[in-house]
Amino acid sequence: MSDTEKAFQINVSDADIEFLHKKLELTRFPDELDEAGWNYGAPLADVRRLVARWKDGYDWRKVEAEINAIPQFTRDIDVDGFGTLNIHYIHQKSSVATAVPLLFVHGWPGHFLEVRKMLPILTAASPDHPSFHVVALSLPGYGFSEAPKKKGFRGLQYAEVANKLMLALGYNEYVVQGGDWGYYISKLIVAEYGTKTVKAWHTNMPVAGPPSVWTHPGQFLLFLVKPFTAAERAGFGHSQTFQKKGNGYFMEQSTQPQTVGYSLADSPAGLLAWIYEKLVRCTDSYAWEDDEVLTWISVYWFSRAGPAASVRIYYEVIQDDPGALRMAKYSPIPLGLSFFPKEPVVVPRLWARTLGNVVFEAEHERGGHFAAHERPEDLAGDLRKMFGKGGPAYGVVPGKDGYVGRDARL
Amino acid sequence: MAHDERPFTISVADAELEFLQKKLALSRVPDELEGADWDYGVPLADVKRLLLRWQNGYDWRAAEAEINKIPQFTRQIEVEGFGKLDVHYVHQRSTVENAIPLLFIHGWPGHFLEVRKLLPLFTTASPDHPSFHVVALSLPGFGFSDAPTKRGFNGAKYAETCNKLMLALGYDEYVVQGGDWGSFIARILASKYGHQSVKAFHTNFPNVREPPSLWTHPRQFFAHLITPYSAAERVGLERTQWFVAQGRGYFHEQSTQPQTLGYALADSPVALLAWIYEKLVRWTDAYPWEDDEVLTWISVYWFSRSGPAASLRIYYETIAANEYSAILPTSTIPCGLSFFPKELTIPPKTWARTIGNVVYESRHQSGGHFAAHEKPEELAADIRAMFGKGGPAFGVVSGRAGYD
Repeated sequence: MSDTEKAFQINVSDADIEFLHKKLELTRFPDELDEAGWNYGAPLADVRRLVARWKDGYDWRKVEAEINAIPQFTRDIDVDGFGTLNIHYIHQKSSVATAVPLLFVHGWPGHFLEVRKMLPILTAASPDHPSFHVVALSLPGYGFSEAPKKKGFRGLQYAEVANKLMLALGYNEYVVQGGDWGYYISKLIVAEYGTKTVKAWHTNMPVAGPPSVWTHPGQFLLFLVKPFTAAERAGFGHSQTFQKKGNGYFMEQSTQPQTVGYSLADSPAGLLAWIYEKLVRCTDSYAWEDDEVLTWISVYWFSRAGPAASVRIYYEVIQDDPGALRMAKYSPIPLGLSFFPKEPVVVPRLWARTLGNVVFEAEHERGGHFAAHERPEDLAGDLRKMFGKGGPAYGVVPGKDGYVGRDARL
Repeated sequence: MAHDERPFTISVADAELEFLQKKLALSRVPDELEGADWDYGVPLADVKRLLLRWQNGYDWRAAEAEINKIPQFTRQIEVEGFGKLDVHYVHQRSTVENAIPLLFIHGWPGHFLEVRKLLPLFTTASPDHPSFHVVALSLPGFGFSDAPTKRGFNGAKYAETCNKLMLALGYDEYVVQGGDWGSFIARILASKYGHQSVKAFHTNFPNVREPPSLWTHPRQFFAHLITPYSAAERVGLERTQWFVAQGRGYFHEQSTQPQTLGYALADSPVALLAWIYEKLVRWTDAYPWEDDEVLTWISVYWFSRSGPAASLRIYYETIAANEYSAILPTSTIPCGLSFFPKELTIPPKTWARTIGNVVYESRHQSGGHFAAHEKPEELAADIRAMFGKGGPAFGVVSGRAGYD
């Protein structure tokens, strides 16, 4: 079997860095209304400050070198109907040979580096908690993966790439964690490959509609009588605000991704504002540092396929099925849920339980949409509890329970 | 009477033209999916072609000189709570002394030049049709008008600006024509100043998306119950549904996060071009845009006094003030409607008649959202028919019937 895996280091060309600087120099800013605050979008003072830093002071090469300390690779993955896509991924193994293979799937405007803070926690060896071998891919069209060239690359295709990647790495059985589009893709991986290759899944962004009396009669009856908790009511309010005020990007990206793509491809300030707005609104008072933001945006700016490619997933999935995100096809494989209070899409627990065989739930006091980045200890802690000894998904992957010194059937 | 009125010519600085060229030279365009055509938004081939032309061949100075043949002015208008705004406008009088004063109001992504092709049709004298003195402003935040600097400049404020402009020009009584935001503002003008300064209005954008309610429009409610939709009306409803399902991403973003979007539109000529060009094509009825025509349209936004980001705020402010969905008290002043098949919302007539005291209706076989630009003769004919001798709104403005 030919193995196209190559070790990968990010190496943005000098020309690309210079080009970015030239564009930043020529930035033309809009004005802003007095006392606009965050009411109209990303504030001018923030964007000006970030652009100025990006132009002078922010050191991409230094950041690049730090990212390159994380083991990254590329390999070719065949996708039915779409040819071969070269996929970029992190692959960090634990010292524990029988660690649990875990695939981490990001979303938009996320990327592969969202897993970064969790890597040392998940791969650490200890008798007190399980370890994981972690794979975090750049989805096709993101980071340093190729993008599909043809129309129609939908959820199942992303799921196919993810599954094939794990199999190519020798992980015939694995577990998967995802939020945002990572949630949706994980759901499809489970629906397509559950019990075969995927043994369990976890999400920090469960999306579901109310239980239907036809498909989930038990949950439906509970739904009728059980009052919402205070946390759920707060979550509802938060979700509604987001739907009312924070959904414009979704409407545009799911209908005219190419039109908005010109903005994201051509204007560093435009790309910055578009994404930074979500980084702030969708987190729980997370104390973003300027260079942290700029690294995040730079991954999009310097991405292999360009930032416009990243928004096509909205069009492809939603045009095919507007209700796709709420779709729930029950699977018996174990599912874990983590609820973070400032997640923009918060559903009542009863609804979320229709998604699958929920064996683990955790409620947190702090954190938002980018849980892996904001609350890495919490999220990694949840995974350890779910998969650790005594946990509800302990040993789901035969021979890879995550601990040293077990007889492993490889 | 002409205090504060200053003749105005557009004169973009050389430095601005050079800056635009520098930016164009540094453009970075995305790739595109195979066979994408218009499915995903503006096709790459169109953008590349327009970009190339903008850099090489398109002559802004020539376009500017042509525009400056139209008589333009600026004057200060005091808007309550917002201080003085310098408002830019076209003001072309007819040779007919008692021509009807008409205020033309553009929308987004339109601008004052949408009136251009109508000007000769409106101002020419003839015994066979009425003439008009035409005023076409750049709404605050658009074209060469100032933009408000404070929050809260909502529809009522735009209407106030419009009314004060007409009064300042000595037009104590006038009629209004508008599409897009112009239609919205016209309805507010009718509601606030109807029978006082505003004597009638006409719109080519009857933006009604619900059937009449029994409580607010009982007569229309019953008419609607018993009137079947015509084939044309059913097609219109489909077009409306398309727009609501597929065509409103811009609306959602502009009405919630105009500043976020504004950074790209201010910074990238390509972004601005694509964002607006998409509407110029999708919202018109197979109108054969010429590249230079498009580039002039976009350039007005690029070189606008307040920048393109300011133009988006009308969406936010009107939604925030809940003006968009609130039912306005309907004025009894005469109202005229023109229906063009590729308009974005095409209500059945029983719905549309809730807009006002509809005395004139006209249905066309072709034309879209930018009717004044696409179908100037047809639109002018409708307005002449509405206000001319024998028409349902003849003589609404005292002493100015539009004829010699």
